[in-house]
Amino acid sequence: MEKTIDNNDSQDIVVTPGQRLSKAVDYISLDGTYVHKGYIYSSVLGFQHIVKRNLQETKENKDENNNNNSSSEESNIKDERDFITVSKEKDPGVVPEIGSIVTVQVLRTNPRLASVAILCVGTKALKETFNGIIRIQDVRATEIDKVEIYKSFRPGDIVLAQIISLGDSRSYYLSTAKNELGVVFAQSVAGGTMIPISWNMMQCPITKTKEFRKVAKMDNSIETEQE
Amino acid sequence: MSKLSYISPEGLRVDGRRPNEIRRINVKMNILGRADGSAYYEQGNTKIIAAVYGPREIVHNTKAMFDRAIVNCEFSVSSFSTTERKQQFKTSRGDRQTTEASNLIKQAFESTIHTHLYPRSQIDIYIQVLQSDGGLKAAAINAATLALIDAGVSMKDFVCACSTSCIDGIPVLDLNHIEERSGGPDCLLSIQPQLGGVISLNMDSKVSQDLFESVLELGTQGCQKIFDILSLEVKKYSSELLKNK
Repeated sequence: MEKTIDNNDSQDIVVTPGQRLSKAVDYISLDGTYVHKGYIYSSVLGFQHIVKRNLQETKENKDENNNNNSSSEESNIKDERDFITVSKEKDPGVVPEIGSIVTVQVLRTNPRLASVAILCVGTKALKETFNGIIRIQDVRATEIDKVEIYKSFRPGDIVLAQIISLGDSRSYYLSTAKNELGVVFAQSVAGGTMIPISWNMMQCPITKTKEFRKVAKMDNSIETEQE
Repeated sequence: MSKLSYISPEGLRVDGRRPNEIRRINVKMNILGRADGSAYYEQGNTKIIAAVYGPREIVHNTKAMFDRAIVNCEFSVSSFSTTERKQQFKTSRGDRQTTEASNLIKQAFESTIHTHLYPRSQIDIYIQVLQSDGGLKAAAINAATLALIDAGVSMKDFVCACSTSCIDGIPVLDLNHIEERSGGPDCLLSIQPQLGGVISLNMDSKVSQDLFESVLELGTQGCQKIFDILSLEVKKYSSELLKNK
């Protein structure tokens, strides 16, 4: 059965996978739809949206086409088509992007890098963790050649980092070179939650042991508490 | 009479249905909070829960395909689901019937899901049978379809499945447990109801050609009826989500 599209009610139409939306020549297929034998079908459950092209852009195209021959009419027809898309009912999953500030947990360390699991992107928690690594040259901006991984991160620490590259096929490349990035939560060998006392030092409140970490610069309120 | 009469002279079956009627269908979607998509499916006394996880990163890297997702299916039957308590196998492989059902569901959805949209990932489908009363595989396919739609996985169409048979020369639709033991052919048909086309077709026993065609025709009608019910439930579920926003 072919369902006619009513533009006035486009925001309220619920479509299911496999439902025929229109002929392929009437609209350009975008997310949530696919083309099969000259028709556009929905591929997910959601709401149908018709996105109209910019009127000014269309007008300019028409003006240009007046000066051209019939071959441009095809491009004119293509340009005038609106977009059709079906948005998923649930919010789409968050994917880490270059430049995002992410919350990660350190899994393993070796002298060259630290393997981490990306838990949050910004303030959104991920359903599934992604793999990432912090290379030794990305730990801090100064004295790069003197950085030692075991004095910056240890397994189990929660770290704020920034994605600098999509990396290789298995891991994102992360950096903690800024002052605001670094370890925000760590536990000492004795098991107590440590308090930051400087940019590279944390102290256990139970045993008073001091351990090296690349500490993130926190809010002023926390700094006041330390004093 | 020494023989059980599956269809009475008035044309009714043992549970009161006519030969071309399906059992009552109950559907609930999004019942498992941890799963990406889930559905509870009830067809007569057959009760099934389906859960979908993914698309997510592949656990075993050797299985990864660079251009598309892989579909996994695990079909398990609870020990309390049948009249006699079944033994649960300690190995995850299970017996031959569950393996066959898993492969059937896996192949059905490999041809329906747009796997090329999710390269190097996997989509896991888990089927749990809570109560068994015939038509298990058909109900499992219908439940998995609803779970995949709930998960938002891109698909070409619904996959609707139905079981048919031929008893005393009469084609019957949607067998229950008693009718499955009648000795007639057990035909499982799953189709794409809107695009058209057969996804899978399985049959046991022998049957003549003309009778087979009438059984197939009845199966197609049954799948269409099931699709109408599922489509209505899915849109109702979607509208309820809209109200809750």
